[in-house]
Amino acid sequence: MSRTEDVTRPLLEVENLTVGLGEFDAVKAVSFHLQPGEILGIVGESGSGKSVTCRAAMGLLPGAARASGRVTLEGRDLLTLGEADWCAIRGRDIGMIFQNPASHLDPLRRIGKQIAAPMVRHLGIGRREGMRRAIQLLDDVGIREPEKRARSYPHEFSGGMKQRAMIAAAIGCGPKLLIADEPTTALDVTVQARILGLLKDLNRERGLAIILISHDLGVVADICSRVVVMRHGEVVEQGPIDDVINRPQHPYTRLLIDSQPSRKTYPGTKTEPEQAAPLLSVEKLSVSFPVRRDLIGGLASNGESFLALDGIDLQIAAGETVGIVGESGSGKSTLARAIIRQNRPSEGAIRLDGQDVHALGGDALTGFRRRVQMVFQNPYDSLNPRMTIAEAVAEPIWRHGLADRRTAQMQANELLEMVELPRALGDRMPRQLSGGQCQRVGLARALALKPQLLIADEITSALDVTTQAQILELLLRLQRERALTLLYISHDLSVVSGICQRVYVFKGGRIVENGSARQVLSAPQDPYTQELVRSLAQLGPVNPAPVFLPV
Amino acid sequence: MALLQLIARRLIQLAGVLLGISIVTFLLLHMAPGDPARLLAGDRASAETIAVIRSQYGLDLPLWRQFLTYLMNLFAGDIGQSLRFQRPVSQLIQQFMWPTLFLTVYVVCLAVPPTVALAIMSARKPGGTADQVIRLIGIAGLTIPVFWLGIMMSRLFGVSLGWFPVSGYGVGISEHLHHLFLPALSTAIWLVPVLTQSLRAALIEKTTADFVTAARAQGASEREIFWRTILPNAVLPTLNLLGVMVAFMIGGAIIVETIYAVPGLGTLMIGALLGRDYYVVQGLTLVFAMSTVLVTLAVDLLTAFIDPRVRL
Repeated sequence: MSRTEDVTRPLLEVENLTVGLGEFDAVKAVSFHLQPGEILGIVGESGSGKSVTCRAAMGLLPGAARASGRVTLEGRDLLTLGEADWCAIRGRDIGMIFQNPASHLDPLRRIGKQIAAPMVRHLGIGRREGMRRAIQLLDDVGIREPEKRARSYPHEFSGGMKQRAMIAAAIGCGPKLLIADEPTTALDVTVQARILGLLKDLNRERGLAIILISHDLGVVADICSRVVVMRHGEVVEQGPIDDVINRPQHPYTRLLIDSQPSRKTYPGTKTEPEQAAPLLSVEKLSVSFPVRRDLIGGLASNGESFLALDGIDLQIAAGETVGIVGESGSGKSTLARAIIRQNRPSEGAIRLDGQDVHALGGDALTGFRRRVQMVFQNPYDSLNPRMTIAEAVAEPIWRHGLADRRTAQMQANELLEMVELPRALGDRMPRQLSGGQCQRVGLARALALKPQLLIADEITSALDVTTQAQILELLLRLQRERALTLLYISHDLSVVSGICQRVYVFKGGRIVENGSARQVLSAPQDPYTQELVRSLAQLGPVNPAPVFLPV
Repeated sequence: MALLQLIARRLIQLAGVLLGISIVTFLLLHMAPGDPARLLAGDRASAETIAVIRSQYGLDLPLWRQFLTYLMNLFAGDIGQSLRFQRPVSQLIQQFMWPTLFLTVYVVCLAVPPTVALAIMSARKPGGTADQVIRLIGIAGLTIPVFWLGIMMSRLFGVSLGWFPVSGYGVGISEHLHHLFLPALSTAIWLVPVLTQSLRAALIEKTTADFVTAARAQGASEREIFWRTILPNAVLPTLNLLGVMVAFMIGGAIIVETIYAVPGLGTLMIGALLGRDYYVVQGLTLVFAMSTVLVTLAVDLLTAFIDPRVRL
């Protein structure tokens, strides 16, 4: 086989692929192709059919699904294969990694064994040789002390390490194609950057072709040479990455690009608040949690505890929008919970208008609850599944005795209108709504008591990027209209810097940096902030990524 | 290493639990109605005789002194004297323990293989014909009372057909197996549906787990996925349930043992209760509690052996 043939013949060809799930076609006549050694991105919102497309190419569709069209791997038609042939291809010619590495590793088996299993299965090597190669692979994917780590169980790994282990298991047999289904969505942004770097290295060093599925155009732009944009099961646009991003043809692609937090500018947020006594001030706040205690351990190691927050100082002036950025475990949610009295401080104080929040009681406490409200990360979990959304919004109003139930119901309808939800949705249950709609309900409920301070804890991280942009716009409009003070918590520095005036960067329960948003983003001082800024998957002027040829 | 630490930790906890058990069994007997001294002395004894017996058995001492004596005796392996048999309770329990233990192991051996087979058949196609039939039969097995089933089976297989003896325990393993088959079967008929439903639910849940999809994506065959991934992950809840059931059977084999006249702990318990043989009741309570604790410990260790996350 000559080299030119190798380049011209695509590794994977998808032609007119249609996948029906029951009555409904999840994927409609999708066509694209992938050259050997290329990285192709597939972008779309949840429900756009991008995962279903790739699962069809892996033969991993649920039993009831019907796939028609053609999917060929090096000229071999995949959709007509029997189960035994599929088993020979999966893991051998095509590897796959998934969104949530924690749930995709078998909790009962050692990491090394799980990485060795596909090699033992496909390459006919012994267990001992499999283990030796597994350790080598762990080393290759950047896990320190691979011999020791191979004997660990998944629960002893961090999220990033689990994804590295998944990658090691997927590339062990030297597949030609790796399908990565949202591989970094569940990970912190700095870890995300490292995993993407690893994928890029594997592509360069091994000539591994990769299909990267993501809802995040920024991630795709970072490492892909070509991109396929999907919506409602159809391909709306495809082409080289810089063409698609700089000269988008389809309105939906333009919407996706404009929704990127780094591209988006929100009006009217950058006004400087007048200098006055801060509305909320947090003084030397520490929150500690007892480390797991059992009968014997509790007696032996008395009161060993974990410091979730360690001497935090922070002020928020009335009308200000303050952002808190940090990765999971940095203590940002603990702070939010401490402010609304869900976590008790072990030291320090939180003052609202000079009053210690944790010393409040009786009517003063009720008043405080009215003044400070919170919106939560998971829109479904934070709404009572057995209440209609209008009831959910009305509940705080009558519970606080601000109106009787009927008046509260009418006010709830107005609130729903205010968050741009159609009146007809008021009688729906949360599960009948989309995530974005539910989050609007959460906002309406939080605003029902006309609070002064609104705490938004990762309110958009469970949402698609276009929905995220809509929710942020709504939030900022409400803030302007109602003169809200906003504490916005997120792991996403670009969102925070887009809407906040001041930013605090959290790491390991401490503030490592704070300042105006522009200053933190453009001239980060702390090494951790610098890493955060670097790992932002930016949609800046794109350098066309070269197509890597197989070596 | 973590496994050894867990065992050590659990053994230390065990000491506390055993102390608690001894206190409870001691108090239980003292709170029970009836006066052992009067019982020993007989109905027509004079007040002096009863007083003599009281001081002879230490029943006139303060409660804590009695408890200390009781505890010291426990450590020496002495759990009292049967009033009825006039033999040490420990000897009695040793004698009656084996049939019950044999029966319990027999039931487990009879129940586990069909449980696994039926659960797999059900879970293969939830809501399918096999699943429905197995569930119906299971409900029937659950609802038929053990005593009725026992009587019917002993009449049919024991009396009419003469295949199995209807009472006793026999001598030697093969005779035990023969004698205890009907009692073991009537217990298993009730146990299998319970375990099957538990295992079926876990199997169905794990079939759609993400790590199963991942294993499939790595090219594992369906057979390999089932035996290496789904079953080990699904077996834990059922294992724990089985542990509870075994502990229950050691203490609760009363009905079956009575119907089939098996000379086991259940029979001993009934006799002791009806004859107000207090020290035997106390000793049996102690043995039942301890066997429950030990079975639970064994199940926990087995769970920790299968699931590394429990070892923390």
